Amino acid sequence: MAHFPFNEDHDMIRDVVKGWLKDWDDYGQKQHVIAKSGQAYDPDGWKTFAQEQGMAGISIAEEYGGAGLGHLGRAVVMEETGYVLFPSPFFSTCVICADIIETFGTEDVKSDWLGRIAAGEAILSFVDARSLPTDNGEVKLVLDAQFADMLLIALPSDTGTSKIVMASPDADGITVTPSETVDPMRALASVTLNGFAPKTNDVLGAVDNADLDKVLTIAYGALAAECVGGSQRCLDMTLDYAEQRIQFDRPIASFQAVKHRCADMFINLEAARSAAYYAADSDNTDERLEAYLIAKPYASEAYFSIAADAIQMHGGIGFTWEYPLHYFFKRARANKSLFNSVEDSYDRLATLIRQGAA
Amino acid sequence: MMHIREEINQWLTENLSGEYEKVRWRGCPGDEDAYPELRKEWEMKLGAAGFIGLSWPEEYGGRNLGLMDIVAYNEEYARHGGPGRAGHIGETLVAPTIIAFGTEDQKQRFLPGIKEGREFWCQGYSEPNAGSDLSNLRTKAELVGDEWVLNGQKIWTSLAHESDWVFVVARAVEGSKGRDGLVFLLVPLDQDGIEIRPIHQISGTAEFNEVYFTNAKTSQDNIIGEVGEGWKIAMALLAFERGTSTLGQQMLFKSELDMIVDIAARNGAMDNPLIRQRIAKAHAGLKVMRFNALRMLNGTENGTMTKEGYISKIFWATWHRDLGELAMDVVGDEAELVDGEFSRMQKLFLYTRADTIYAGTNQIQRNMIAERALGMPKEPRGFNNG
Repeated sequence: MAHFPFNEDHDMIRDVVKGWLKDWDDYGQKQHVIAKSGQAYDPDGWKTFAQEQGMAGISIAEEYGGAGLGHLGRAVVMEETGYVLFPSPFFSTCVICADIIETFGTEDVKSDWLGRIAAGEAILSFVDARSLPTDNGEVKLVLDAQFADMLLIALPSDTGTSKIVMASPDADGITVTPSETVDPMRALASVTLNGFAPKTNDVLGAVDNADLDKVLTIAYGALAAECVGGSQRCLDMTLDYAEQRIQFDRPIASFQAVKHRCADMFINLEAARSAAYYAADSDNTDERLEAYLIAKPYASEAYFSIAADAIQMHGGIGFTWEYPLHYFFKRARANKSLFNSVEDSYDRLATLIRQGAA
Repeated sequence: MMHIREEINQWLTENLSGEYEKVRWRGCPGDEDAYPELRKEWEMKLGAAGFIGLSWPEEYGGRNLGLMDIVAYNEEYARHGGPGRAGHIGETLVAPTIIAFGTEDQKQRFLPGIKEGREFWCQGYSEPNAGSDLSNLRTKAELVGDEWVLNGQKIWTSLAHESDWVFVVARAVEGSKGRDGLVFLLVPLDQDGIEIRPIHQISGTAEFNEVYFTNAKTSQDNIIGEVGEGWKIAMALLAFERGTSTLGQQMLFKSELDMIVDIAARNGAMDNPLIRQRIAKAHAGLKVMRFNALRMLNGTENGTMTKEGYISKIFWATWHRDLGELAMDVVGDEAELVDGEFSRMQKLFLYTRADTIYAGTNQIQRNMIAERALGMPKEPRGFNNG
């Protein structure tokens, strides 16, 4: 029997992904290799994962060459990659940019670009330049821009609208500069626009800002599943450690103070899992929007709390760079504020509640 | 045939009206002293319409409905604000226990009274020295002639003063300890050997009681199982509920949260950024609780508790307690003023302190999660339990 709310196909994909990522993880040593490399990207790993394993197209419709496994399929990949912090362009390309193209693209753009994304042949990065006062300026915190084959740029337009254009990162008037980040497994860059002039045939379309925000809320919400995967890893590491670590002639796992903290971690984890799976399982558009608006802050707060508990439960070893727990702790913190912060999300939710719309 | 959801929806639309309007949304936990007589009449009405015992086998007057049907029924019942069920202990705990472990005579004697909403039950488990450590109970039962004679004291017996029968776990073997030597008895409350004293609670109400047994008697026929099987049956009873009412309970929680949002919108608290965050988080927590329940119910079709099922009690209890605190903060200064009796918000705040204590304290829940869901080492046993 499939694991609710997933079906047999999702469960099968999970087994495949999990197995491959476990080897990639190399018992928590691969994160060190990535961190030392100075770029949060593993091109060979991504090629295998996206193309041979076929994960790039997991949630893209079959008519565009994807597997058509929807948001639940996407959640499986986000969760399992989160368990090992696999640094891949899946989130930027196959979730954020794919959703934007799917929603706003013409049929030609969709069949061209969704096809390439599903085949694992293109990396795309979304640049939200809507808050720039003019078409020139610097946009910070752009995910995966330094590896992208193509940028999707939302430029400010008339009041309440923006225009989305596609441009090569090498185009005139665009400069991409990789950023240093606290979380060494996340690739962020700054994108500077200076005299950039989009070619008309590269324009994806003029869109209503509110519509774009809805698409982004749902796409960014996919991070909830990543948080669940990372939280599970933190709890697993903590339980292993608590069984092995002997103090006062007993495993520390036998102390009630430790047991109760682990129980709290489990409560937070399973609640976050429900939040993430609820969002992935929702299909009606309004319900989906609300569910992701909840899942993202809920799961990221849980992740941070669990990762912080994990560090505390590990004692001194959790404070060392050599022990890979800190990578999860850093990811958890970043996930609270990036891609719609906890506070902003809950404030928007409060507005919906007050309007009787949630 | 009409689905049970439509059936109860239609019936409630027609029948939860007139004098019963008074008990809509009333009589739920924390409010159980509301209109007890009218709510008992309501039980008879519900029973006469065939809505009690839906999950029981057909041979005992039930309809053998599955888990998700019962969930749908409870959800719909709560959505209408159906009165708190005076008969829920009989229907959801006693009846399944009698069906599983009782004799044919016991089934014939007790099931009709429950099904028709005529006989009401309460639970005699906790004692002054047997709370979280229930196996430490000391109430004695001795077979004298053809009757069991009971001596001792039970406590936290909810609604004993409104009930006809109590089920009691008592020590039947002299000198036995822990889980051994216990017996599970059905005892009539209306007799000289039983005294019921209400416990005046911090919520101002008195749903809970102390029940004193002084040579209280019950027929030897009123034992469920054998002497020595009391613990097994007591635990099996607790497992029968299996979370089917949990989605209904969440409808009640939703109505409470709606009231809080309504107050916040009217008195301006909704414009306070911190209150907004807390209301949004409460709303999020309720959605999470619902999906927790769906995951748990979808995992229990084969009768085994899934790991995530262990978080259910502590999650809702803590959420509800926090909601009580939010309610008072939203009301603001005026939360301190009492107008005759405590308001719904004041009751919510005060009564929810019990949620994290009864049916397994948060601390016991954490032990259970650590040991059963996470496989961590068990707590050391005390000197009496080896």
